[in-house]
Amino acid sequence: MFLAVFVGGAAGSLLREGLSVPLPSILAVTTTFGINVLACFVLGWLYSIRHRVHAHVLHLGAVGFCGGLSTFSSFVADLAAIASTSPWGAVYVATSEIVFGLAAALLGEAVGRRVHGVKGAR
Amino acid sequence: MTEAYLHAIFGLGGGLGAVLRHWIALRLRHDLPIATLFVNVLGSLLLGLWIGVLGGPVEMGEEARRLVFGFCGGFTTFSSFAYQTLDLKRERTLVLAAGNIAFSLALCWGAVVLGMWLTQ
Repeated sequence: MFLAVFVGGAAGSLLREGLSVPLPSILAVTTTFGINVLACFVLGWLYSIRHRVHAHVLHLGAVGFCGGLSTFSSFVADLAAIASTSPWGAVYVATSEIVFGLAAALLGEAVGRRVHGVKGAR
Repeated sequence: MTEAYLHAIFGLGGGLGAVLRHWIALRLRHDLPIATLFVNVLGSLLLGLWIGVLGGPVEMGEEARRLVFGFCGGFTTFSSFAYQTLDLKRERTLVLAAGNIAFSLALCWGAVVLGMWLTQ
């Protein structure tokens, strides 16, 4: 179980390091925006089929990979850096990242249910 | 020190962070997502401390730099935070979901600033 979490976490972290390219500042988002939203989408998808897959898949994919890929610490560090020049800018960036993250998780769930034909509310 | 080796160190940090996060989650079982809040606050504090240390007079090696950055990212999680917030809204109340967002943001933001301030 912990091995699966370790492997998923390491893989997610490496992907995060690889994908953390500086985005154009006009987008006014943090460097973690893309990876965090992507991780929410994948996690939503995995949770939509959590009763169908082996626990190891969830440990590897959800706990390890999505947790390793997404980050809260860099997110708030970016917010603190933005806030030092523009406090309202930081509030705007925080709000948008959270709204997009929640929406991505819902979308991931919906897509997962549809693709895998899962019936019912949850 | 090759770049591949440094990536491996970053991945090692991330993997260890994920394992420790899961270990804490198994021990802090609760009907509210306090384990995620706890690891996010702790990881944010560590990152703040580390940013302060790196900006300080003591020269830190690239290996240590990557290991801790990898660890903080692997330890903290945004995806679980988002999913648990949705679950709070669906299974409990909107107030709890909003509270989770407000507490996570305020405490983690405070933790990273506190960490940087302590080691500046």
